[in-house]
Amino acid sequence: MPKHERLEAAVPWVRLESTPEDWRAADPALLGGMLAELHLIRAFEETVLELAGEGLVHGPAHSSIGQEGGAVGSIIGLRSSDGVNGSHRGHHQFLAKALTHVTGGDLDLSALVTGDVDRVLQRTLAEILGLAQGFCAGRGGSMHLQWLEAGALGTNAIVGGGVPMGAGNSYAQRQSGTTDLTVSYFGDGAVNIGSVLETMNLAAAWTLPFVFFIENNLYAVSTTVAEATGEHRLSGRGPGFGIPSWRVDGMDPLAVHLAMTEVGDRIRGGGGPAVVEAEVYRFFHQNGPYHGSAFGYRAKTEEAEWRARDPLERVGSEMLGLGLIGEAEIASVRTQAVEAMREVADRLTEPDPDAAGKRRIRPELWPDPEFVDVGIRGDGSELAGGRFLEPLDDEGPKDSGRFVDFVAGVMDRRMAEDPRIIVLGEDVHRLNGGTNGATKGLAKAYPGRVLGTPISENAFAGLAGGVALDGRFRPVVEFMYPDFLWVAADQVFNQIGKARHMFGGVNPVPLVLRTKVAMGSGYGSQHLMDPAGIFSTSPGWRIVAPSTAADYIGLMNTALALDDPVLVIEHVDLYALPEEAPAGDLDYRLPIGRAAVRREGADVTVLSYLSMVRHALEAVQQTGVDAEVIDLRWLDRASIDWDTIGESVRKTNAVLIVEQGALGTSYGGWLADEVQRRFFDWLDQPVLRVTGGEASPSISKVLERAAIARTEEVVRGLEEAVRRMGGR
Amino acid sequence: MATVVRMPEVLAGASEAAIQSWLVTPGQSIGVGEPLAEVETEKAVVEYAAETEGVVLELLVSEGQPVAVGEPIAIIGAADEATRVREEPGPADGSQQRAPEPETAPDPEPSPLADAPDLLPSERGGHRAAERRFASPIVRRLARERGIDLALLTGTGPDGRIVRRDLEATAAGQGAAASETRTPTGSPKQPAPSPAVQAGPGGPPAAFVDLPLSGMRRAIARRLTESKTTIPHFYVVADCRVDGLLDLRRQLNAFDEVHISVNDLVVKAAAGALMDVPEANVAWAGTAVRRFATADVAMAVAVPNGLVTPVLRGVESMSLTQVSAAAADLVARAKAGRLKQHELEGGSFAISNLGMYGVKEFSAIINPPQAGILAVGAVAQRPVVDDGALGVGSVMTVTLSADHRVIDGAVAARWTAAFVQRIEEPLRLLL
Ligand SMILES: Cc1ncc(C[n+]2csc(CCOP(=O)(O)OP(=O)(O)O)c2C)c(N)n1
Repeated sequence: MPKHERLEAAVPWVRLESTPEDWRAADPALLGGMLAELHLIRAFEETVLELAGEGLVHGPAHSSIGQEGGAVGSIIGLRSSDGVNGSHRGHHQFLAKALTHVTGGDLDLSALVTGDVDRVLQRTLAEILGLAQGFCAGRGGSMHLQWLEAGALGTNAIVGGGVPMGAGNSYAQRQSGTTDLTVSYFGDGAVNIGSVLETMNLAAAWTLPFVFFIENNLYAVSTTVAEATGEHRLSGRGPGFGIPSWRVDGMDPLAVHLAMTEVGDRIRGGGGPAVVEAEVYRFFHQNGPYHGSAFGYRAKTEEAEWRARDPLERVGSEMLGLGLIGEAEIASVRTQAVEAMREVADRLTEPDPDAAGKRRIRPELWPDPEFVDVGIRGDGSELAGGRFLEPLDDEGPKDSGRFVDFVAGVMDRRMAEDPRIIVLGEDVHRLNGGTNGATKGLAKAYPGRVLGTPISENAFAGLAGGVALDGRFRPVVEFMYPDFLWVAADQVFNQIGKARHMFGGVNPVPLVLRTKVAMGSGYGSQHLMDPAGIFSTSPGWRIVAPSTAADYIGLMNTALALDDPVLVIEHVDLYALPEEAPAGDLDYRLPIGRAAVRREGADVTVLSYLSMVRHALEAVQQTGVDAEVIDLRWLDRASIDWDTIGESVRKTNAVLIVEQGALGTSYGGWLADEVQRRFFDWLDQPVLRVTGGEASPSISKVLERAAIARTEEVVRGLEEAVRRMGGR
Repeated sequence: MATVVRMPEVLAGASEAAIQSWLVTPGQSIGVGEPLAEVETEKAVVEYAAETEGVVLELLVSEGQPVAVGEPIAIIGAADEATRVREEPGPADGSQQRAPEPETAPDPEPSPLADAPDLLPSERGGHRAAERRFASPIVRRLARERGIDLALLTGTGPDGRIVRRDLEATAAGQGAAASETRTPTGSPKQPAPSPAVQAGPGGPPAAFVDLPLSGMRRAIARRLTESKTTIPHFYVVADCRVDGLLDLRRQLNAFDEVHISVNDLVVKAAAGALMDVPEANVAWAGTAVRRFATADVAMAVAVPNGLVTPVLRGVESMSLTQVSAAAADLVARAKAGRLKQHELEGGSFAISNLGMYGVKEFSAIINPPQAGILAVGAVAQRPVVDDGALGVGSVMTVTLSADHRVIDGAVAARWTAAFVQRIEEPLRLLL
């Protein structure tokens, strides 16, 4: 019979309730502020539902009616410099943060709607309606509300997707030496998604000043908590990660406030993250002006029970009981809020001249359709004043070394000069520079700035995204292998890649992601992709793929100076090569959009990048084909060098795009498409492509070789191009 | 180009519809937005308007007949197409086979070399497709700019596509011809010469095939006719004893890395002779006799369906192995169609060697601007007389064609003697 010893979680997990005493002790101004914010948000949400009912809200309107207590109770005590983000159901958190920012949480109940408050209400409603004056210029709408100045970091339509970014914000707060904190709000459905769970682990490991705020409203659309998980007390997630956790009645804003005060004290004192689970209820269905019971997944009686616990009434009646307010005054708060919202709606809508008795959006308020692609990325003006050097033209003395030593060298140089740079990734801090030596010496030279991460690409990529959005630091993320982008895809593409554009096109996202192509190393089907093709589908990303150490230095320096996310692709075949770069110069940059012509030729333009440039040159030598070999350097749509490509195509009238990896994820497809469209009248044959095979490369040496492209495949490509030149 | 009108998806998700009534008749002109038909689905009857303008050539479905969404229902063509198409016997029952095949691409092969598959000409049925000339975009553009009628070119690219090289061959070889036959704007295009077997009207197939002229064939025809009719040719014939030459070649080729051909030795000897007799290293320059300082020797190289004459420059200063390598490179690239234009230009002298075909002797036509060409026959064992004794020796007969405008008989004879001497004392070729 084995012996059992009962184990306890190492951190507390408590349920907190307010007492009458707590209500008596509460600052009347705090209670008044809560009442005011609750009513403003309720009237706001009612207006949204009304407009949605009239078909004026494009897309879903996820109302927070019923759940306002959790948001107001937790936010009213926060500083403007504290951050919050949330999910698809985020109007209430956004408004609570914005209102608290402009009022300090202290609202005059007899003159509720000041100019500032009015502006917050109008710009928020305008955003939800998709209008130019909205907080995100109408781009974000209901699910992407951002006002960085107020500490509203941006709400998210990917369930749980904002949590890693929120953690990144808290990292930046702590690393800047502040005692600020960040709260990420998400639902009971979101508690089961990887972004949340990975971030719980990461935040606990790194003791981040971060609150996981679960709004447990019992339903994810129509799926109940009991159906979705075995531990329905969702704050129970925390202790398993070593995170102290609170459960609290979210219909009681004071209780939430008290819980958050405890949490805040602990976090600001350096105690690390906390979980707060607020039990709340949305009075309506997932979205729109209907009750959940109308869809059959819950009972009217249940809805009535929760309605009886309406947080607005709770605060009103407690204040009434304490003699802090009269019935008439409460009614007046309600009237002022409703009236303010009526005026706001009137400013944004007008009677529809084509349909009697109906409203329409005032046509002049829509964004200009020309705005559609503005601000996908920065304009590169941040590079102004930097020193550019073209290694092709540089005739000065050279330093020699292995390619990978220049990789570590330039990062060392930048970290020495720019204290904002931090490096994070798996094992980057150990093994003498990570798995390939690319971060050699950095951990020792820059303590605390080279972070070995847990194996959770989604969380640490997203965290870096949050750091970038905060702007005080410049994260450099390493993915050990490119294929891991798939496990981080939400953060890489939905978040980092879209953040700037989606929230209005103005807030920079300075982040560098390094990864290495490893084709030829025998790591098999799940390690050997070339990420260029996939990243090039995500327009927010810039992509560089240096083929020489001298280019690497210049391109990395530019990447670290840019205000956009930049993918820097490396290749294991290059690491050990003996290379030369301008002597003693690790500071020059290479301009955006400048390719390198590695060989001039008249017959066919070879477009390539990374290690395949060398294979292409080798193939040209072997075949004697008079090819012009262009090393693209910059691969993304916005940064690629059309001038050089165009000049070459007009000369050769034939194009061969050369890359190494599998066909499906290959890069050249869009490029071929673009080339034929731009240069159709200059082509003498279809755009040809060299790629790997259809399947991802296998581990068997022979099969791996057969699956990828190297010199021999480029030779075949060149021969094919020659065959198509005719003349026989 | 005729446009096929297809059954529209009147209501989202509808898979079938019928023409309730046609609002046009064949032959009628129609503009964009003008009603074509009333289309009836399960749920509604809507008027369907034309999306292209033109003449209604044909209505493919009859009223009331249910048709799947996307099926052809009518053909609208440009005004001038009207008669031609209407002459065809068309099924009046509204059957749908009349619609041109949609352009389908073959399944892409999972090959490391991916590209857009080309349509095979055979996939384009119909009489109109036969007139279609496939030409690459750059060819279309340049032809337009230079006023060249593509109908006069032969495509040597994949599936007969006219590619840049075909245009360049025209430009180089017969620019004049091309411009003479320029199609006047607005006039109908000349039909392309077709490689098909000619058939008399209603009679049996004729006993000949007309192969369309390639650019190269036109160039050869024009240049050599011009040469033979405007240059006063005369000929000098000599036999060369080549036993020593063959011996030397055997010895040289005993070294692994060298492979010297008889032709390489002939080229080298010819260059030496041009240096020995500078009066022969000349060209007719219209108002002057141009004398050259170097020996630039052209070689006639047979390529499929023709020949080209790339020029080896400065042969006098090249070693034999250099000559051999350079000649091999030119021949290989000539056969691969990869010579550059400048490699085909100039030269003062040419060599045409048909020895490998066993030809005893022949005379060649001068390839202007060159003033001489040496026709080289096969090496053969023949009876020879040395010092009055009859024996057997290896002999090669060569025939010099010379341009009498610049080379007189005596000069030609001296040049031939110098050539023979170099061939018969081959060690001098190594100097
Ligand atoms: C990753 C992802 N999966 C699914 C959805 C679709 N979706 C949007 S909201 C939602 C339910 C979320 O439930 P919960 O987290 O409990 O939040 P609540 O709606 O209750 O506030 C779902 C499934 C999504 N937006 N993102």
